[in-house]
Amino acid sequence: MEERNFTPEESLLLISKTIEETKQKFQENGHIIVLWGSLTFSVFFLQYFFELVGLHKKFDIIWTCILFPLGAIYTFFYTRRKIKKNNIPKTVLGMTIEAMGWVVGMNLMILGFIFGDHLGNAIAPIFIIFLAMFLIVIGITIKFKPITIGGILMNLIGFGTFLVHPKYYGFSLMLGAVVGLILPGILLNKAKKKEYV
Amino acid sequence: MFNDLDPILHSQLRLSIVSILITVEEANFSFIKDTTKAAAGNISIQINKLQEAGYINVEKTFKNNYPNTAISITNKGREAFEEYVKSLQKYIYPQK
Repeated sequence: MEERNFTPEESLLLISKTIEETKQKFQENGHIIVLWGSLTFSVFFLQYFFELVGLHKKFDIIWTCILFPLGAIYTFFYTRRKIKKNNIPKTVLGMTIEAMGWVVGMNLMILGFIFGDHLGNAIAPIFIIFLAMFLIVIGITIKFKPITIGGILMNLIGFGTFLVHPKYYGFSLMLGAVVGLILPGILLNKAKKKEYV
Repeated sequence: MFNDLDPILHSQLRLSIVSILITVEEANFSFIKDTTKAAAGNISIQINKLQEAGYINVEKTFKNNYPNTAISITNKGREAFEEYVKSLQKYIYPQK
């Protein structure tokens, strides 16, 4: 970088360019969002499947207990490895999203495992609404519209779930996972790949 | 011409370094080098100037047996940056 006299316009341009370049280095590529969408879809699809073959009560908690914590462990190590490999510094934005992810995730786990009996079937729409709120915030903070729109649609699916019979709640969760996580995650991944071409 | 602009920040590389640090909690030397694409020697000189002005904190440690220079912006640096941006805007939009 050469040192020379530069104008206020050039200074402002340099500031915004540097901030943008720094932000882009640690932006998520959609992989984790697609992973959580697939996990949510798989968990509730498997619950349906086992319900169909009459093993519902025995297996639903096992899938939730195994797949979601496995996803959390994978997310933790994947993020750590990415930070180390790409020499990514911690940012206020990144830390906010990470903290929110853990808070939302832990609250959902507690609601599901401890207060599941109190909430009954309502746990499904509550799960969707919590996740949707998290996605809307992520979409707005990283300025990626498909995630914001996916989150809003998921939020509506969450409220709509209260209006249908509980036997369809599993479908709502699967639809929410596709609309709010899998599709926006794939679009984010494509957008990131385009940036590097 | 630009008398009101902070001379410490009104340098391309120093401004780039501060712009990076304003976005992150802390950055190491190699991250700054990768982002600014400047020479290591030049970065070192500018980091020293920013440190002398009290705009940044520099902490030299070891990470996995390798030397690691962690750099972060101070409150004074943050305030100076905000003031610098305001001054720039006054130059560009004098009527505001």
